[in-house]
Amino acid sequence: MTERVGIVGIPPRSVITDLHRRRVLIFDLDEPQVRASLDLTASHLPRVYCAVLRTVVLNAMHLHLDCIYIDVGPGKCDCALHVSTILKNMLDIPIHCTRNQDMEGAGIPLCRTRMPLLAKMTGITAGVLEPEPEKGPAACRPTAGFWGVPPRDFSLLTLFPDTTHVYGWTRCMENKTPADLELESYVNPNVPTVFFAQSFCAKTALAKFLADQHPQGLYLDCDVTAGSSARAKIEAFFELSHSLFSEK
Amino acid sequence: MLLADFGTSYCKLLDTETDRAPEVIATRDLEVGFMADLATGHNAARRSKQSINELTALARGGEKIIGGKDFVLLDCGSRDIKFVRYAEGRVVDMGWNAECGASMGFTIELLAKYYDLDYGEIAVPDTGFSITCGVLGMSNIFDAVISGLSETEAVAKFVRGIARNAYRFAGSPERLYLSGGLCDNPLFVGSFPCNVISLGRFVLLAGLQASR
Ligand code: SF4
Repeated sequence: MTERVGIVGIPPRSVITDLHRRRVLIFDLDEPQVRASLDLTASHLPRVYCAVLRTVVLNAMHLHLDCIYIDVGPGKCDCALHVSTILKNMLDIPIHCTRNQDMEGAGIPLCRTRMPLLAKMTGITAGVLEPEPEKGPAACRPTAGFWGVPPRDFSLLTLFPDTTHVYGWTRCMENKTPADLELESYVNPNVPTVFFAQSFCAKTALAKFLADQHPQGLYLDCDVTAGSSARAKIEAFFELSHSLFSEK
Repeated sequence: MLLADFGTSYCKLLDTETDRAPEVIATRDLEVGFMADLATGHNAARRSKQSINELTALARGGEKIIGGKDFVLLDCGSRDIKFVRYAEGRVVDMGWNAECGASMGFTIELLAKYYDLDYGEIAVPDTGFSITCGVLGMSNIFDAVISGLSETEAVAKFVRGIARNAYRFAGSPERLYLSGGLCDNPLFVGSFPCNVISLGRFVLLAGLQASR
């Protein structure tokens, strides 16, 4: 029977290459994979915790996996390190902790191309399961920026223009260098940028800091779903910044 | 053209084809089939031919009324608070808080009716409650009254706490432009620790006018 393996974060390329060689079925546990309430994780994790990692635990409870690779080093976060302890206690399968320090860039074509942001993000997260990058589409001139991690609720991405360039950890994801803090901190000061972080994530500090430094940055954090006020902020931010930009 | 700012408690209406001043009516008194040409606020998409979001309306209203290049404009509504900050003519920050600013204006109005108070006659207290939301702040009032404070003093501390919270939410500016029905509440306006310029409750309507 085909082995079922869950991954959390971005395990090193050598691990992904090995999983491909073994022809296993890979599940990205950071993304919603099952239709079940996040509240089911309450017996394992505090309710006030990163929604991505609550999703990891929810997936792990339901997917009948044979093993999990969870990245817990500088390419992910301490929250994931502690979740690895919980997973070890919760499941009777091997939980392999990795510390991805890969620094060989795979390129960032999707981050810079013209495409609906939702499709772009889906392509980037799907790319995590592949050891080698595909040759990507051409770059476009950016008119907006999205900085941050892939949100738990992808629906907020529909509010961005197709010419949005992607920055932050998502850019590191596509580049397959998740621990590259310099790349993560890179921004384009010439485009209005939304600095997004999941609520209760340590990256909220970096997002807020960079948004404050940026000439046109909007800090935004969301938990499980993007509510109407978060959506309205994004909408108004682009509406107002574009009209002002074009007047300049 | 009929413009409407649909608030949770009150709706502000303006017919641009007449010389009449804007009209304020209680939301519950609005006709069921009422339709505006251009609107913002609660259910605006359903009740108008065209709608824009409240932050956009607030920002455009601020641009039109204030005119300057650097300002912070805070709108305190019944149910939520929102602000925009401009620097050198560009919007550089904004916020909309429907959770922690929840029911602020609504609670302040409710308390005046319940305790039969006139906010024009209550002095700003030296200290206030540390509160972030109208609903949660109510228990501070009850606790204070039980421990011997008068109802008026307790409500004054509540209002001061709410104003200080809104001030911090807007980034603690030296000068604050205030929008919304609470502009008419001297206790609330006087509780801000900065220079406050009240613009009244029609800023979003001005934003709609500027968006036509
Ligand atoms: S969003 Fe932040 S806390 Fe959550 S998994 Fe990613 S890095 Fe960790």
